[in-house]
Amino acid sequence: MTRQTLLGLGFLSPALLAVMMFFLLPVVLTVVFAFTNMSTSTGILGGEYQISESDLRRLPAVGVGEDAVALLAGAGYAVQPETLALFAAEFGEDRAAELDKLHGGAKFDDQRAMERALKELRRNPLRKVRDRKTAADLFRVSILGQRFATRDDFALAITDLGVPERDRLALTEAAYTGWTFTTQNFELLWELPATWRYALNSVIYVVLTLGFNVGFGLFLALSTFYLPSRTAQTFRAIWFLPRILPPVLYVLMWQWLTWDQGFISAMLRPFGIEPINWMRHTATHAWTFIVLINGCVGASLGMILFSSSLRAIPETQLFAAQVDGANRWQQVRHVLLPQMRWPILFITSYQTLSLLTSFEYILLATDGGPGRQTEVWALAAYHTALSNYGGNLEYGLGAAYALALVIIGILLSALYLRFFKFSELVAKPRIEQ
Amino acid sequence: MNTKGNWMLILALSLISAPLVIMYGFQLIDSVSRPAPGGIIPQEWELTNWRFLWTSIDSARPSIWRVTFNTFVFASATALLVCAFSITAAYALSRLNFPARRFFLAGLIMLHAFPTITLIIAIFIVLQFLGLYDSLMGVILVKAALELPFGIWIMKGFYDSVPWEIEMAGVQDGASRFRVWRELILPQVKPGLSALLIFSFLAGWSEFILPLVLAPGADAQVLATYMNAVIADDTRPDYGLFKAIGMFYALPVIAVYLLFQKRLMNIYGGGTKG
Repeated sequence: MTRQTLLGLGFLSPALLAVMMFFLLPVVLTVVFAFTNMSTSTGILGGEYQISESDLRRLPAVGVGEDAVALLAGAGYAVQPETLALFAAEFGEDRAAELDKLHGGAKFDDQRAMERALKELRRNPLRKVRDRKTAADLFRVSILGQRFATRDDFALAITDLGVPERDRLALTEAAYTGWTFTTQNFELLWELPATWRYALNSVIYVVLTLGFNVGFGLFLALSTFYLPSRTAQTFRAIWFLPRILPPVLYVLMWQWLTWDQGFISAMLRPFGIEPINWMRHTATHAWTFIVLINGCVGASLGMILFSSSLRAIPETQLFAAQVDGANRWQQVRHVLLPQMRWPILFITSYQTLSLLTSFEYILLATDGGPGRQTEVWALAAYHTALSNYGGNLEYGLGAAYALALVIIGILLSALYLRFFKFSELVAKPRIEQ
Repeated sequence: MNTKGNWMLILALSLISAPLVIMYGFQLIDSVSRPAPGGIIPQEWELTNWRFLWTSIDSARPSIWRVTFNTFVFASATALLVCAFSITAAYALSRLNFPARRFFLAGLIMLHAFPTITLIIAIFIVLQFLGLYDSLMGVILVKAALELPFGIWIMKGFYDSVPWEIEMAGVQDGASRFRVWRELILPQVKPGLSALLIFSFLAGWSEFILPLVLAPGADAQVLATYMNAVIADDTRPDYGLFKAIGMFYALPVIAVYLLFQKRLMNIYGGGTKG
């Protein structure tokens, strides 16, 4: 008994490990990431602490006192032993000594004032403006723009600067450049009108494509069912290819068919129709071809499944129908279709889920264009998190998009569990009893 | 009536199949010819579209042979991993009695239907954590893992159809369950295993989204992303070149299809693509 258990779990463990790593963990992480503001600019690992010049303006809003902000903004330059040492290394001991005598211990608010102080050097003057600018930078003690690796480093720096105790916590939080937990992704999704547009696009896409897939798949299966086997095989082969051709190549063929010097344009030119890009001209064009491109792949799956379930129907039923005088349409309507209920239901439910979440063919065909009119939900998730022109990839927001699909996916696939005859599948192994 | 009906059917089928046939036909023709400017009828036969095989089509692109090698490694490594993990896991689920077996089976069915592509954002970040981002190794692991539920499902079907008597006889003669599996059951499911191997290889060979997202660099480029990059970078579409690359890319697929058509049709019936 224990040995069987060991063997069973041992046999299962490599697969279990893979499933944990690339299914369970990502599902959990999608939920986690959806509640963060993770993006390219925050990075995915922890962040650093940094206040930049442009941050100063937003500090009062997050609860940092005005005097602390003034402290950060001003007091940028100081003539003190540390900075003098830097200056000495760059411009010589003599100059450093002279400056120390003139301004030792002085503080300057901005770079201009610091440069003016440097101009006062008489015995060893810094004549070039560029030199004075370089030198002024050496006296900079402001933490603006400086990166601190840890929270403690940053706390130490602002304490040294004299930031009042009560402002330190808010300032440290504002300075953090890494990602933080937030619910703003969902608020944003709720508010953006584009969100509803993407949801609507997904519904249009799934309904139209599904209708095409099932209807056309049925037509292909039924029509090839009645044909002599050689002819039927030829047509099946033609319609099977879209499914196994690499998507990049398959969509390329459609691009060629529809671009403004492609097949359709060339065929229509003699009739005086202006060449246009038939796939991208308007939203209607785009939707038509998206449905056709996906539909031919889906119809191919439908054809295979429906054909095999048609073959399972006893031929004697058809003979009986024929003897009773039923024509072909009546045979299909009253004998074949009623027995196809389960395969049709299976294809419909299965493809609803896969169409809702797939974006490969749309990405290759129109990339959501023209404009964003064919951008479906899944493609929006991809564009937000993994590929956009702005360059700042918003993983958190993208994960929030994906989370909706993950939840639908889990719910529907749990529902499909009921479609399968589960008890039959889990029949007890017969050896150990 | 029936023959006349058949002719009508054939006519209708031919009409609706015409766009596909035209696309296949010109895919072949355009890869080895140059059409008249602005037209579609081939003007002269030539092989310059295949220049990507012996010269570099532009400087920043890796050599096609390097990319083909990557694709081959990617597809065969995923296929082997899927098969290796599936033959044991599927046997356990099909034939062995252990605690929580019901739970694992329910999980398998759910995973089989679950749309894995929704997890890609999280997987992208997991790979960055692991340091496997932008490497062939990373994409191989992910692709194999995502294909696994399907592989286990198919293999379980094959194991289920092996008669129990074989196993009973082995156990009766005193062999351990492991030995029965290795020496008696495995030979029975060999055809299924080879079908799964072919299927997973093709799935890897055609995969586009995973390499695009998880390994966008030049070092780990595969034919799908290579071809997509060539198409996307061109300001003036050179369909002759694109189609020749596509032809080169699809050759193994078409060869496998012609050789194993029947077996593939069966296994694609349970496939996961939309």
